[in-house]
Amino acid sequence: MSLLHLAIFSPFLMAILVPLFYKGLRKIHTGWFVLILPIVLFVYFLQFLPVTRDNGVFQRSFDWIPSLGISFTAYVDGLSLLFALLITGIGALVVLYSIFYLSKERESLHNFYVYLLMFMGAMLGVVLSDNLITLYMFWELTSISSFLLIAYWYDRDRSRYGALKSMLITVFGGLAMLGGFLLLSIMGDTFSVRELIAQADVLNNHPLFLFAMILILLGAFTKSAQFPFYIWLPDAMEAPTPVSAYLHSATMVKAGIYLVARLSAIFAFSEYWFWLVGGIGIFTLFWGSFNAVKQTDLKGILAFSTVSQLGLIMSLLGAGAIALHFEALDDNIYTAATIAAVFHLINHATFKGSLFMVVGIVDHETGTRDIRRLGGLMSFMPITFTIAIIGAFSMAGLPPFNGFLSKEMFFTGMLQLLSADIFNLETWGLLFPVLAWVGSVFTFIYSMILVFKTFTGKYQPEKLERKPHEAPFGMLISPIVLAALVVLFGLFPNLLSYSLIQPAAAAIMPSIVPAGEVLDVHVSHWHGFSTELFMTIGVVVLGILMYLTLNKWIRLYSIFPGKVTLNTLYDTGLYASERGSYNVTKAYMNGSIRTYLIYIFVFFIGILGFTLWNKDAFTVSTDNLAPIGVYEMVLSAVIIAGTMAILAAKSRLTSIIALGAVGYTVSLFFVIFRAPDLALTQLVIETVSVALFLLCFYHLPQLNRDQEGRRFKLGNLAVALGVGTIVTLMALSAHSTKRFESISEYYIANTYEEAAGKNMVNVILVDFRGFDTLFEISVLAIAALGIFGMIKLRLSKKGEGADE
Amino acid sequence: MINLLILPILIPLVTATLLIIFSKSIAVQRVISLISTIGTFAASIVLILTVKNEGIQTVNLGSWQAPFGITLVSDMLSAVLVATSSLIVLCITLYSFRSIGTARERFYYYPIVQFLLVGVNGAFTTGDIFNLFVFFEVMLMSSYVLIVIGGTKIQLRESVKYILVNIISSALFVIAVGMLYSVVGSLNMAHISQRISEIGQLPILTVLAVLFLIVFGLKGAIFPLYFWLPGSYYAPPVPVLALFGSLLTKVGIYSIMRSYSLFFYGDQAFTHELLSILAIITVIVGCIGAIAYWDVKKIIIYNIIVAVGVLLFGFSVATEESYTGTIFYIIHDMIIKAALFLLIGIMIKITATSDLRQMGGLIKKYPLVGWTFLVACFALAGIPPLSGFVGKLLIVRSGFAEGQYIGSIIVLLSSLVVLFSVIKIFMNGFWRAPKDYPGEEKQPVQFLWVPAAILVLASVLYGTGAEVMYPIISQASDALVNPTIYIDAVLKE
Repeated sequence: MSLLHLAIFSPFLMAILVPLFYKGLRKIHTGWFVLILPIVLFVYFLQFLPVTRDNGVFQRSFDWIPSLGISFTAYVDGLSLLFALLITGIGALVVLYSIFYLSKERESLHNFYVYLLMFMGAMLGVVLSDNLITLYMFWELTSISSFLLIAYWYDRDRSRYGALKSMLITVFGGLAMLGGFLLLSIMGDTFSVRELIAQADVLNNHPLFLFAMILILLGAFTKSAQFPFYIWLPDAMEAPTPVSAYLHSATMVKAGIYLVARLSAIFAFSEYWFWLVGGIGIFTLFWGSFNAVKQTDLKGILAFSTVSQLGLIMSLLGAGAIALHFEALDDNIYTAATIAAVFHLINHATFKGSLFMVVGIVDHETGTRDIRRLGGLMSFMPITFTIAIIGAFSMAGLPPFNGFLSKEMFFTGMLQLLSADIFNLETWGLLFPVLAWVGSVFTFIYSMILVFKTFTGKYQPEKLERKPHEAPFGMLISPIVLAALVVLFGLFPNLLSYSLIQPAAAAIMPSIVPAGEVLDVHVSHWHGFSTELFMTIGVVVLGILMYLTLNKWIRLYSIFPGKVTLNTLYDTGLYASERGSYNVTKAYMNGSIRTYLIYIFVFFIGILGFTLWNKDAFTVSTDNLAPIGVYEMVLSAVIIAGTMAILAAKSRLTSIIALGAVGYTVSLFFVIFRAPDLALTQLVIETVSVALFLLCFYHLPQLNRDQEGRRFKLGNLAVALGVGTIVTLMALSAHSTKRFESISEYYIANTYEEAAGKNMVNVILVDFRGFDTLFEISVLAIAALGIFGMIKLRLSKKGEGADE
Repeated sequence: MINLLILPILIPLVTATLLIIFSKSIAVQRVISLISTIGTFAASIVLILTVKNEGIQTVNLGSWQAPFGITLVSDMLSAVLVATSSLIVLCITLYSFRSIGTARERFYYYPIVQFLLVGVNGAFTTGDIFNLFVFFEVMLMSSYVLIVIGGTKIQLRESVKYILVNIISSALFVIAVGMLYSVVGSLNMAHISQRISEIGQLPILTVLAVLFLIVFGLKGAIFPLYFWLPGSYYAPPVPVLALFGSLLTKVGIYSIMRSYSLFFYGDQAFTHELLSILAIITVIVGCIGAIAYWDVKKIIIYNIIVAVGVLLFGFSVATEESYTGTIFYIIHDMIIKAALFLLIGIMIKITATSDLRQMGGLIKKYPLVGWTFLVACFALAGIPPLSGFVGKLLIVRSGFAEGQYIGSIIVLLSSLVVLFSVIKIFMNGFWRAPKDYPGEEKQPVQFLWVPAAILVLASVLYGTGAEVMYPIISQASDALVNPTIYIDAVLKE
């Protein structure tokens, strides 16, 4: 345990205290107590900046399950530090915002902050774990806390729907990812990411490599809402807005990005990695932005926008993988993509966080987030409007905001793929810049919709629940801080270059950054009249045109049939699996014991018959057999006849008498085989049971054999013959394979001398195996108690003490 | 103490006998049950420590030297299973005080529960294949009584089916033991193992392996022998259901593990392949059943079948890692299944229905029950650091390592289905708008919560403290990997 571990666990410890604050100090909003923690943690993590600046690392470890190679190694490098700062920094702002957003009178704050703290700790754990198993543990914990937060208002159907959807999809990915981790651990014999990276060459040639990669990417893509798994994110917007800002845009959904970045050093050399990460990323960018335009809910727009932006970062990480195929660092232009990914990650957290908070304010002050009911709010909430402008313009990629810078770098990264001459990029590479550009046009459009449909246009007071006014100052602090960062990073990007971006990018590609050196990171606004600039100008021009003519072409969206969507697939899939399972189960579980026994016996015949045949196990040996006498033949004939009579009997009484005949005949066999005590026992049991059966069955209704059809009877006959045949074959074979002298010789030798008894059977029962007899007696006692209870106690009649 | 290992059988046996005498006084019955079950549990813990320090413990009953008398054998596998069973019976006994109802208490409920524990602990401990049959009978007879006691219509109807299936399986058990005796001429399990190792796995032994699989599979509810289970388990009241769900199927699984590791390990290409296929189908049909229903009891009952499949799959992989994983998982599953049944029992008490669609909003008034249930859900699904994780991790990893990709992936994804099935209970039972249920104030929710919470806590500690458990579980898998350890301990002279 170290201070670093304590930092990771501190949110959980704090979570335990939250209910106390909530109950004990009702007057003060619980959020104020919670707020202290992320601030302290943020400051704590800041002190690692000097360590990672030179690509250094800081590591502390403690053993959890060392026997299985599972330790909790906390590891700080550029990449994890960047995430840790985002988690705690944005976390502090979100908590501050939530204090004003959630009423301390009406809301269950203790739940809210417990979940939020759980998430914060889990997320810190994800990005600071070196051990894959601890990483997985925290990963699932983020899914769980997200589930709880989405369903925070658990009496709403939509909240529960969204919570379940997000959980099913992300836990599915998590399990696949676990599978991938296990494969990695089989290949590399360790759960440590560090040690796996060290043997990346070996892993790359392992036959399980691709299998592991696909499983792990499933985890990353589901968590980071990539196509086609993104469908949970829009529904996750049912969570309170501070949660959406925090989990579903700034941090949790970036866990997938983190995972891809972290494991790039293992997988990125592979062509499949490039195509999967880059290809799915760029398509998600396009698809998300395209769908964002048609949304009418402000949070819906932001959700699809987040999907799209995550795709952007993902595609950059894919493109950055190309860099590994080129040796020299100095002129390795492909590292630019990775640097852009890191930079955009930061920028996205700032502008998207502020936009979510803006939307939260609008929702809070007007009671709606529907852009068809909003409009003209600029004069009521000027500060919010200003923040919205900054955030949206940054998102659209306009100067001088930070989004412009990273968007330009994104274009650079995509354009560079055209010059790469591997992986068939000559043919297919063009898709990347084209999709990037088209996606950016749509991004521009929805950014404009977000701001202008809300704050300009016609004010429609009749559609609003309450009269809008500016938010309280406290609620504005957090978005103002974020908007200020958008501007600050836009104007002075190099504040970040070597403090955060370079260390993170170097941590993603350790193999091409030699020890002691750093990547060249320089961000600037002006690169001359480059292709990127013209692309941006194109985006703006076309974007403005399309925004202005929005009403004319928005109908194009309705061309797509509403039913053929991934959401419908999820909904019907879930419904069908429940319904289908019900029908399937109902079909074979019909409640009839006869049917069940037929299943069981058919399996019995089939599998034992197959084994007998397959193993050629049937043997008959006629050695050591006594001659068969007339008595035996007669008795056997009686037994067979008796059995047949049971089957043919029309009344129960006849059946029982036939059954008794069979039993008595068996005891006659014992007589012939010179086992008088067994014969006596059998006789007593037969007599008693026949008498009891006669007594009981007298009260039962008549048999209705006529209702049983011929097929039913024939089926039963086949099953019965089958079971009989199989048992006979096995018995003959077992009898013919006596390979050892039986232990009974010992009993014969010792019954008199050692156990001092003259009847061997008796001695076996009461001495050699007296333990068996003791418990057989117990069985009788239990049966007696049971029958007594069954006869005397009828709860259904009295209705007393029933427990159903 | 030499005869330590007999205590977990003897204490409940003596207790059961005593309790029959005191059947009129419920208070006395409760006190004696509780104290003696604590005693059984304590004895089993001492047993674990003894086995840990001194190796496998054996007793030749009546001092008839093995293999001629009956030998009890406690290796680590049986010791941990005995301890787990005793803990579960302890918690369920406590839960029954306020749940089973005085009528059943007066009609020998507590002695029968003790008899059930005799049967279960005996089956785990015996080293004699016929004696195993006897303990099966003790266990089954107790379960017949538990399923029928109370005499409600559904109980009577389902107990007929239950008894019928189990009598058939008992008959097959005797046939199987007889045939095995014919071939190897012994009943002592270590002795049988030794003799089989001398002659190799003859074809008839492979056939007998399959026959034993059917016998134990009927108890363990593997595919396609589980059909009787959902209906029968549904009938009795919740504490009985919890006993059955957590203990009985595991005795079947244990017997498969024991017999397949001691006797039938010579033709794994055939037998273990068969196990593996049946295991995977069991997981799938269990999953299908688990998501099919909106009845809380049914949902958890089908989850029993999923777990049986997972355990059988883990065992069928047959490496040291997979055995360790299987044992980790079997203990986890016993604890968490009992906990889940007890928790849904509380839900049923409050709402007076087991239909999920008629429940809702319980978290408002019963937050402790709700959160305990949620933790149990995640433990069941194997979310780390809770108890299901380590077992599943080892099972899946060993499956991958042995090239069983499809089976491993199915086991992995079954976690998702399992999670979905129980989260459905949480979301619809505890969430949604709160409702009022007639008579809910009278229900002893706080009291019933305690034993359930003890079990969930045990599960959490078992998961997070996996390092403490690891040497014990690892030792438990030793005898599975290497039967000579078991043989030498029994036939040491």
